[in-house]
Amino acid sequence: MARAGGITNAVNVGIAVQADWENREFISHISLNVRRLFDFLVQFEATTKSKLASLNEKLDVLERRLELLEVQVANASANPSLFAT
Amino acid sequence: MAVPVEEAIAALSTFSLDDEQPEVQGPGVWVSTERGATDSPIEYSDVSAYRLSLSEDTKALNQLNILTQEGKEMASVLYTYRSCVKALPQLPDSMKQSQADLYLETYQVLDLEMSRLREIQRWQASASSKLAADMQRFSRPERRINGPTISHLWSMLKLLDVLVQLDHLKNAKASIPNDFSWYKRTFTQVSGQWQDTDSMREELDDLQIFLSTRWAILLNLHVEMFRVNNVEDILQVLIVFVVESLELDFALLFPERHILLRVLPVLVVLVTSSEKDSESLYKRVKINRLINIFKNDVVIPAFPDLHLSPAAILKELSTYFPKFSSQTRLLTLPAPHELPPREAQEYPSNCFCRHYLIINHIGAIRAEHDDFTIRFASAMNQLLLLKSTDGSDVDWSKEVKGNMYDMIVEGFQLLSRWTARIWEQCAWKFSRPCKDASPSFSDYEKVVRYNYTAEERRGLVELVSYIKSVGSMMQRCDTLVAEALWETIHAEVQDFVQNTLASMLRTTFRKKKDLSRILSDMRTLSADWMANTNKSESELQSSHHGGEESRANIFYPRAVAPTAAQVHCLQFLIYEVVSGGNLRRPGGLFGNSGSEIPVNDLKQLETFFYKLGFFLHILDYSVTVATLTDLGFLWFREFYLESSRVIQFPIECSLPWMLVDCVLESPNSGLLESVLIPLDIYNDSAQQALVLLKQRFLYDEIEAEVDHCFDIFVSKLCETIFTYYKSWAASELLDPSFLFASDNAEKYSVQPIRLNMLLKMTRVKLLGRMINLRSLITERMNKVFRENIEFLFDRFECQDLCAIVEVEKLLDILKHSHELLSRDLSVDSFSLMLNEMQENISLVSFSSRLASQIWSEMQSDFLPNFILCNTTQRFIRSSKAVPVQKPSIPSAKPSFYCGTQDLNSAHQSFARLHSGFFGMPHMFSIVRLLGSRSLPWLIRALLDHISNKITLLEPMITGLQESLPKSIGLLPFDGGVTGCVRLVKEHLNWETKSALKAEVLHGIKEIGSVLYWMGLLDIVLREIDTKNFMQTAPWLGLLPGADGQILTTQDSGDSPVVSLFKSTAAAMVSYPGCPSPTSFHIMSKQAEAADLLYKANLNTGSVLEYALAFTSAALDKYCSKWSAAPKTGFIDITISKDFYRIYSGLQIGYLEESAEVSSNSHERLGDSVAWGGCTIIYLLGQQLHFELFDFSYQILNIAEVEAASVIQTHKNSHFAMQGWEVLLEAMKKARRLNNHVFSMLKARCPLEEKTACAIKQSGAPLHRIKFENTVSAFETLPQKGS
Repeated sequence: MARAGGITNAVNVGIAVQADWENREFISHISLNVRRLFDFLVQFEATTKSKLASLNEKLDVLERRLELLEVQVANASANPSLFAT
Repeated sequence: MAVPVEEAIAALSTFSLDDEQPEVQGPGVWVSTERGATDSPIEYSDVSAYRLSLSEDTKALNQLNILTQEGKEMASVLYTYRSCVKALPQLPDSMKQSQADLYLETYQVLDLEMSRLREIQRWQASASSKLAADMQRFSRPERRINGPTISHLWSMLKLLDVLVQLDHLKNAKASIPNDFSWYKRTFTQVSGQWQDTDSMREELDDLQIFLSTRWAILLNLHVEMFRVNNVEDILQVLIVFVVESLELDFALLFPERHILLRVLPVLVVLVTSSEKDSESLYKRVKINRLINIFKNDVVIPAFPDLHLSPAAILKELSTYFPKFSSQTRLLTLPAPHELPPREAQEYPSNCFCRHYLIINHIGAIRAEHDDFTIRFASAMNQLLLLKSTDGSDVDWSKEVKGNMYDMIVEGFQLLSRWTARIWEQCAWKFSRPCKDASPSFSDYEKVVRYNYTAEERRGLVELVSYIKSVGSMMQRCDTLVAEALWETIHAEVQDFVQNTLASMLRTTFRKKKDLSRILSDMRTLSADWMANTNKSESELQSSHHGGEESRANIFYPRAVAPTAAQVHCLQFLIYEVVSGGNLRRPGGLFGNSGSEIPVNDLKQLETFFYKLGFFLHILDYSVTVATLTDLGFLWFREFYLESSRVIQFPIECSLPWMLVDCVLESPNSGLLESVLIPLDIYNDSAQQALVLLKQRFLYDEIEAEVDHCFDIFVSKLCETIFTYYKSWAASELLDPSFLFASDNAEKYSVQPIRLNMLLKMTRVKLLGRMINLRSLITERMNKVFRENIEFLFDRFECQDLCAIVEVEKLLDILKHSHELLSRDLSVDSFSLMLNEMQENISLVSFSSRLASQIWSEMQSDFLPNFILCNTTQRFIRSSKAVPVQKPSIPSAKPSFYCGTQDLNSAHQSFARLHSGFFGMPHMFSIVRLLGSRSLPWLIRALLDHISNKITLLEPMITGLQESLPKSIGLLPFDGGVTGCVRLVKEHLNWETKSALKAEVLHGIKEIGSVLYWMGLLDIVLREIDTKNFMQTAPWLGLLPGADGQILTTQDSGDSPVVSLFKSTAAAMVSYPGCPSPTSFHIMSKQAEAADLLYKANLNTGSVLEYALAFTSAALDKYCSKWSAAPKTGFIDITISKDFYRIYSGLQIGYLEESAEVSSNSHERLGDSVAWGGCTIIYLLGQQLHFELFDFSYQILNIAEVEAASVIQTHKNSHFAMQGWEVLLEAMKKARRLNNHVFSMLKARCPLEEKTACAIKQSGAPLHRIKFENTVSAFETLPQKGS
């Protein structure tokens, strides 16, 4: 045999191929959507992280300010005589 | 098929996922898909379903693929092999007896490593024999099995490549034979007691031969191949395939291209060294084509820091393959290091250097990048538009998707080209170390650190950032474009098999039964006849046979791509059609010589053939993007580590860090946005270390380097940011008129840098960690601002009081830069930081670091050493003053002043104007810097200083008083000036007390200085108050009255501000749609509060008046001693104990001194003596006495009379007055000054019954009350400590 090729049972193969196309359409649909879901989760995480970061930043500022105020109040209340007129 | 999943997923897109972070990093998230379509996930096991009798081929193919996989792992073992010998301990002499134990331990350690090498040896033997067997089986001219398929050819090439690489690596790594010889030594030591060591010894010898023979693997392969003498055919086919693929260069991505380039020289050597006619190769491939390929790529990257050169390989192999050595044309090719340096370096004349260096292409690359990103984005937009319109327009949809497909193909090709450029430039640089390096440089420094010029580094950064940004852009839209890609590929395949093949079958292949059978097989195995499920039954029926009937079969796209097996089979069948299954067929793959197929069809087949090859890359979307953007190789340097005999290189030699550093140092601020991109290289290399090389220690090293680098990076970046904002602020605060007049004002302007993008980075992806860069920067900025404030205070503490203007200016600049930075970053508030550094955070601390510094400076330097000039209203440093010892000024980076050197010098020249004196501008600075919080503290300190001084003066003055005669009368006129001066000197017999005299004068001078200082302060405060008043008056409804008093317009009603807000609130509340009426009420209440607060602030008193009152109270104690109240009630003109007498004496004393030695004592004392003395005299109520009885005044009167008489007589005038002009002039000056002081005092501190100010016991001043001018009135003033 010099030439290759020659599908032995061409009709059956043709039918199987056709069925395969359809099955694979379903599979790729599902897998694509799973990947989209994954993408969404990744992006969701990123967004959440940046929102948390900005929240954290605000809290940081507040915390430091609060600390300062606490020290000031503590300092002031330690010397009540200064405020007696 | 409609899947509800889709709707659910689509619903997710309704979430708003806005992210503020800009995309300035490479793609970071990879879904690990293990293996993609390029290497089939199911090992081609579905190929058999197509019944093409390819099972033998598939089996062989899979075997080769497994071998390739194993070989790659072996290669990474070899590449990352590090010498163990260096780590082996040496025994000290005292432990020689346990030498045997050490040998045993060493042996066990080394045995583990050597077993790996033994494994490699065994593996290569089996791989070579399997490859050879495979080639022989598939290259028989009388073929019994189908194959080899194209994928099979590829697998052969890949395995061959792995073998070549292994061989190359084995040759290059010197530590392996080294370790081995150590191992052998320990073996002989250890094995003495063992039995049956012969086989082991034999094995060792084998391994030794393998390790020490260069090109042992290739030689072995050669032997295996030519055991049966018919592999030339397949080798020739392989060469033809390689050459054609390289020349076409369409479907190749750079990893494949490099494989082909690496394999080609070896293939040529193998073919030409066969027993048969070695020239037959050149009948199929002209030798010029080979030489062209070798010449175009003189260096080929093999491993990150190892490269191959075809010329060198050919030359070296010629000694091992004697037959090949006759190929002189191939052997005369120059190796890269042999290229003449002049030719290689002067790029205009030479093509190699031009070709390899990125900077020569960066312009074109930039244009490509810009063009591509724009077109890609527009294609994406079209696609999104299509999705949103729910398009039924088939043509449009097909066009948009096809366009997207084209863009993706183009993107892959661009990425492949760019990344290949980086690989090739690296290989080129490794092959040509920098020539003019000092011998102290290590080899690695020569090839990397000093081998890239600054421009080349910048070019590299730019290219890397293009690769990464395009990569992440494509990565992001992966799931969006997937359907469009599948659909387009599906359409292409279906169009080919259903339309093109159909027409071919009808026309050219009608007569050729065997060929047409192959074509119809192609249709069978890939046609999707029912792609459109919506088609009606009849249409479906017709379309099923449509291939034969209608010319252009219309089919509907399905979003499914062909499988790898389908592509594999299609490629095989096309190849079969073209080649006729005959390996010996002359000509190329699609060469037309002797073929029965017409050119047109051949062209179509060829195009489709190569398209099929590229489909696989597209189906492997994310894997392809990851491979193409992987730049991790830039970090690895295992080969150089070994040859340099060090454990690791310093980070200055590390290419990724060099790039980061180059961006930070670069004057080109546009590059700064790419500063995070080189850090991605670390991500890539860490990934490679773990996944590809599978070596934990490499990852640890990378991690350590990244930790180190990132710290340096952040600190350098912060420095850049701080300097930038500082110089921006400084240039904005420069005097505009100065800038206008300046010749080169441009050097003071600051180039804008887009930092806000970096300041938004809350998630920097680094080695799988997320780093909040923004918070790190914020942290450091908070710190550096504090450090800067601290530095400015430190600096001020080393300078005198005159520097206060400069300090204020610098603080202003700092404040302004803080303001500018706060737009992008939330740093701590400036006033808070300032308070913190001033150490007056506490609510009850009223002094501050600055205030106490000013005070101590005044005490120790200003008051003793500065002299007043009444005319200019300035204090200047006396030239006679003793210099005060101060710590030297701390030095700091320019960023702690104004940013850049130019701005520093500009601002310094302004500061220098104020550095020599103390006057109004300084007072303004002090008032602004201290504010209402610390200023009272300073005033109080100064007033206490006055009262202390007076207390100190008291005994001294008593001492002076004692030496005066009991009574001093008026000076007689008859003595003339000369006589009077003598008489005065007789009265003042203070010769013994000159030190006391000087001290008293100094004390008086300091009091005067403080009082004058208060006067300046008063002026400044008045000015500020007036300004405030002007601003608030209209709101408070205040009008100036005719007599300077303030009138209120509405006597009973509210002030304008209150009534305005009240009426607004009322109007808003009555309006029905008002959302929150309470807030308006609150607002009007706040207006009332503001009204009260501002009104209370209106009548601030005068600091000077307060100071005078305070001084007079302080003098009160000594009133009895210094001014004896006449018992008679009349003025006693002879009394000598009063203060004015003392001052008179002192004044004439120092006037004389200053007359004698030219202005000597005046330079020491200045005008403030007059201020001090006159104020005390005035406050003691002795002004009239002084004016009547002062010695110098009397002498002046006498001189006047004398002068008048001289004018009358015209006789010996000059004689009488001679020698006294200078003194008289000084006296006149003193009189003028004294009069000035007195008149000022009269105005500010009137002693008549008038409105004046008083001070309550609590210290609060009461302004403008009426009190009687008695001495006892001052008793109400508080004293220190009371």
